[in-house]
Amino acid sequence: MASRPATAAPTAQEEAVGAQAPRPSRPRTARRAGRRERYAPYLLIAPLLAIFAGFYLWPALVTVLSSFFEWGLLRPWSLVEPDRWDFVGLANYSETLTDPSFWNAALNTAIWLVVFPLLVASFSLLVSILIWYLSRGGAAFRTMFVLPMTISLAAAGVIWSFVYNPDPQIGMLNAVLDKLGILGADWRLGPLELHIGAWLSDPGVLHLGFADIRLTNLALVVPAFWVFSGFGVITLTAGLTAVSYELVEAAKVDGANAWQVARHVLVPALRGPLVVVGVVSVIFALRTFDIVYVMTEGGPAQDTMVLALLLWQQAFAFLDTPQAGLATAVAVLLSAVLVAGSYRYLRQLLAGRPR
Amino acid sequence: MTGAGRSRRTIVLLYGSLTVLAIVWLVPVISAVMTSVLPLSQTRAGWWNLSFADLTYRNFVRAWDQGLSHYVVNSFVITILSVVLTVAAGSLAAYAYARMAFRFKATTYFLLITTMIVPVQIILIPMLPWFRTLGLSGGPQEYLGIALVHTAFGAGWAVFMIGSFFATIPEDLLEAARIDGAGWFDVFRRIALPLAVPGIVSFAIIDFVFVWNDLLLALTLLAREHQPLTVGLANLQSPHLAQDDLVAAGSIMAILPPLLLFAALNRFYVRGLFAGATKG
Repeated sequence: MASRPATAAPTAQEEAVGAQAPRPSRPRTARRAGRRERYAPYLLIAPLLAIFAGFYLWPALVTVLSSFFEWGLLRPWSLVEPDRWDFVGLANYSETLTDPSFWNAALNTAIWLVVFPLLVASFSLLVSILIWYLSRGGAAFRTMFVLPMTISLAAAGVIWSFVYNPDPQIGMLNAVLDKLGILGADWRLGPLELHIGAWLSDPGVLHLGFADIRLTNLALVVPAFWVFSGFGVITLTAGLTAVSYELVEAAKVDGANAWQVARHVLVPALRGPLVVVGVVSVIFALRTFDIVYVMTEGGPAQDTMVLALLLWQQAFAFLDTPQAGLATAVAVLLSAVLVAGSYRYLRQLLAGRPR
Repeated sequence: MTGAGRSRRTIVLLYGSLTVLAIVWLVPVISAVMTSVLPLSQTRAGWWNLSFADLTYRNFVRAWDQGLSHYVVNSFVITILSVVLTVAAGSLAAYAYARMAFRFKATTYFLLITTMIVPVQIILIPMLPWFRTLGLSGGPQEYLGIALVHTAFGAGWAVFMIGSFFATIPEDLLEAARIDGAGWFDVFRRIALPLAVPGIVSFAIIDFVFVWNDLLLALTLLAREHQPLTVGLANLQSPHLAQDDLVAAGSIMAILPPLLLFAALNRFYVRGLFAGATKG
């Protein structure tokens, strides 16, 4: 490894150091230090990259490779045992893409993808602007809205199951609706059919001619939104600190009221932070697993099944059927959509980094 | 912006609407707290009709004795091991990515950052056979196994967050230490690392909450006796078993540690963020 520049550089440094501190042991230490300097970054990144390679890159590669084979967890696919391979080509993908239960889960995931970011963005926009207008007490309010962020989705699912309990003696939500006298009401508003009170079993259907969309998903989106909105509130309140008071005062002098200030000064200033909130909540929504697993396990029937849970069940809930190949195909598709969809965000993250 | 220029009505409206929103926001938590400190008979008749004479801590004792103690211990073991590993390996690597030049830097950095976006499912399915191959299943070594997975998945955040703190350290400071004859490791350990402590603590808090709250990895990779509280809670939760009191007590136990951590270190955390902001 004694290439030219490698030996030349330490010598120069050695002389410099030697001139400064003329102790006999110094040049040798300096030479060693100089040579080590070259390997320093590799020594620093080695532990993390070793773990990263062993527990992320390699398994991810196995997932992609094994998605072209038929296998199950009782008969796992292994790169080093070619005699046990059951190559099926793209069959896992074609089977997945023609499977109605995949498309049902994809539709439910799409509902999450639309509703969840919208709820998070609009709620945190409202709250952060209201807080911005406060002259005091803003921090206390912000803390209250951020509080659910530390709660696990598993615990949130449990907690919201109490709130959603259909018995008005137990469930807070139905107790309130009972007081209002609308508990158990069946409403029909055009294509929208609502059953007030049956939140996790059958809260209603949106009839769209070509498809019926069951609203049970929305009952699951709400707890996730409740947990995650704190992120939006933090991001947007931080974004609002950049708004200059002069601009707001100028707008007021021009006769703008509070609503117009919010609409024409504050919201435009938040465009960047809103994009961040949107992208991160889309990523969050596509990964949805915990809430559904804890609250409904995809039911009733398959009404709340999402892709992340579908592939988990394919791989782990039916161990005796070799469906892990199918599950890996779903995982690959899901990851591909996520990476493709957030690629620009990823590039932005990388660009914002000091070199 | 002071309230001076605005009408009284607007101010009342502002505080009023925020108060109502905050109360609605906290109702689910209050609901769980009340269910956990009232006897089941009382909860069945609406916890909002509470009488303070009925308040009890018995639910917590019963939940603890009925096996949740085990899950709580597991949660702490898994979380602390994961955070220590991620912070240790992550700080070293973050320093290299923030302050040094080396081959394949951009490529490996990009790969690390993908962990922020790609779902855990991409590694989950072949993981059990892989654990068996590595000898990481079937015993307490499962704790190490899941901690390593958490480290791999926290790698992107660690390098990104801690690295942004290393990046704000003035080059002159490091250069001065080098001129004084300090080797690269001394520069890292004595100069850079102490200055990045706020960033490392912020990351540790976020990673603690993330690992503590994980359900999917633990549910999939761990044998029952090593599973954490989130899995215990999911097992306990069943509409067919009338044990809301135990479930509520369990959910409060699951919520408290990350919440207390945030409350205790909030000032430090905020100071860390501000330090990063003013230096940058």
